[in-house]
Amino acid sequence: MTDSQSRHHSRGFWAEAWARFCRKPLAMAALVFVTLLAAVALFAPAIAGTKPVLCRYKGRIYAPCLSYFDRRLEPTIFAKDRFRGTYPRNLKEKDPDSWAIWPLVFQDPHRAVRENEWPGRPANPAKDEGHPNRINLFGTDQYGVDVFAKMVHGTTIALLVGVVSMGLAGTIGIIVGALGGYFGGWVDMLTSRVTEIVMCVPTLVLILAVIAIVEKPTIWKTMAIIGATGWTGIARLTRGEFLRLRQSEFVTAARATGAGPVRIMLRHILPNALAPVLVPITFGIASAILTESSLSFLGFGPPPPAASWGSLLNDARSNLSMWWLVVFPGIAIFLTVLAYNLIGEGLQEVTDPRLRDARK
Amino acid sequence: MATYLLRRLLLGLLTLLAITFIVYGLARNMPGTPLTVQMGESDPSRKLNPEDQERMKRIYGLDRPWHEGYLRWLGNVVRGDLGRSFSRKQPVTTLIGERIGPTFLLSGTALLLTWLLGVPLGLYASARSGLADERATSLLLYVLYSFPTFVAALFLQIIFAVWLRGTSWELPLFGMSDLPADASWAARAADIARHAILPVTCQTYVSLAYDSRFIKANMEEAVRQDYIRTARAKGAGPSRVLFHHAFRNTLIPLVTLLGLSLPGLIGGSVIIEQIFTWPGMGRLFFESIRERDYPTIMGLTLMFSVLTLIGQLLADLLYCLVDPRVSVE
Repeated sequence: MTDSQSRHHSRGFWAEAWARFCRKPLAMAALVFVTLLAAVALFAPAIAGTKPVLCRYKGRIYAPCLSYFDRRLEPTIFAKDRFRGTYPRNLKEKDPDSWAIWPLVFQDPHRAVRENEWPGRPANPAKDEGHPNRINLFGTDQYGVDVFAKMVHGTTIALLVGVVSMGLAGTIGIIVGALGGYFGGWVDMLTSRVTEIVMCVPTLVLILAVIAIVEKPTIWKTMAIIGATGWTGIARLTRGEFLRLRQSEFVTAARATGAGPVRIMLRHILPNALAPVLVPITFGIASAILTESSLSFLGFGPPPPAASWGSLLNDARSNLSMWWLVVFPGIAIFLTVLAYNLIGEGLQEVTDPRLRDARK
Repeated sequence: MATYLLRRLLLGLLTLLAITFIVYGLARNMPGTPLTVQMGESDPSRKLNPEDQERMKRIYGLDRPWHEGYLRWLGNVVRGDLGRSFSRKQPVTTLIGERIGPTFLLSGTALLLTWLLGVPLGLYASARSGLADERATSLLLYVLYSFPTFVAALFLQIIFAVWLRGTSWELPLFGMSDLPADASWAARAADIARHAILPVTCQTYVSLAYDSRFIKANMEEAVRQDYIRTARAKGAGPSRVLFHHAFRNTLIPLVTLLGLSLPGLIGGSVIIEQIFTWPGMGRLFFESIRERDYPTIMGLTLMFSVLTLIGQLLADLLYCLVDPRVSVE
């Protein structure tokens, strides 16, 4: 064996899977799209808003745009100087030396922009007259609020719903499935029965009932409920993997070295069972986004001013002639769901040895 | 066999008890009661005074804690009585009987269309696997599969009810029939069919995409088996290999899929029926939750859970029937 060959290690399972994933154009495009969405969510106040990203006022530098993430982040000096949320005119009037960096699109996700709020710009059209145009890229809703701004700020919800609820569902599912699959016997009997019961209760009913019980519904509670009801498939799959792996030789070897059950489950079996479990989690993200948007669509969404894409569609139901209220949010939901499905499919193809070898 | 069935039925009963207990607890703990929700929302002046409310509560049995209410409901169910709806003043069984027809009309048509189109599509895709036309079809189906139903429903409504208004292509926006009850039978049937086109389309396309992909995936698994190579070696033609050797062996997972679609057939789809205001079970469910109509919520939950369990049992039994290697023991 030559020197160069011995230094060339064979790649690990995940590195190998990643290399295969990179060769799948559709899956990669989907991954890029989701990354792009994450960037939009992160920089939403800098993309669309009516508050400066950065400004210098009375000798100090502020970032009022952060208040879109949390109202408490609004610098108190602007409230004291009676800005009332209108920055462009007030900044110049109250401090002629001030400067500001504005968001790319001067539109607010929570209210209609008034006439001359931005010098020389007319007020947003209300009712059904807000066709998409140069100023309101995706049109305005019946109250004159810009749809583009609403959608940009709604991206956070769409992404968080998928990740948070499936993080919860994944944790519950893996724990329940691992316990049942590893210990077997009455533990398995119990966990399988609980899984079956949760599976049998119609999901939408369960979610609607729990949402109705919860006082003051917030988007976080909706995510928790979607997660708490969506773990059954993951649990079943994990159970199957653990059942299969607990009899393998490396587990016997680990047990012989004196490892306890928790250590064996976490350190030895779980890493080997993770790939097949990740696939339903990715598909679960897609379906969680769908569930949230259909809940908002039915009118059970987060309370205003937080607007998810689904609640935009709910507004559209009573104004079908305003097609832009349907088309843009609808396509956004569709593309996001499609992207997660494509990523899940790609993941399945690169990690499942049966599918992987079949393609050769 | 008999012991297996008995065990499954007993376990099923236990599951049913657990599900109804959970849902009853959830329903009774939702804020508001049928009395406050119904009357207070529409007109504050019609709100009952406290004494009347107490009296009504006693009549409906709402003055006791919910676990007692559950036991009472359970006792009535064992005696074959699902109770009366609070908000509609009708027995729950009558309500379900009224709504089951429209839902079955939608979901039955959709299921039939799905299988009539899905099986040939899946077979076509596996026969031409890897070729350009198959890849295009599969991609299209995949895109359709990710297309949310309610978005599609809104798109279809905009196209057929708003943009095409006044043309012969116009389709009704919602409801099941605009004609009075004394219209002729044929006219009513045609009218209902026109109303059903959009909801049936919405219900069909998602399951069509799912089923044909499912069939193709199973076929690809089957085609790699040794017996297919044997069949080819003995000189069977491509279509005979496909239908007779490969497809017959993918029937097992298909049977399971069919069994699992049973509850949806009668349970209906909440979202589609809600969008098209179709007077079916899904809409009844949604309304009964909003109206805190406990007997109706419970009756529908019970029916849906029973159907789910029967569907699972049927799928398992059919599994044994089509595959002699599988035995219930």
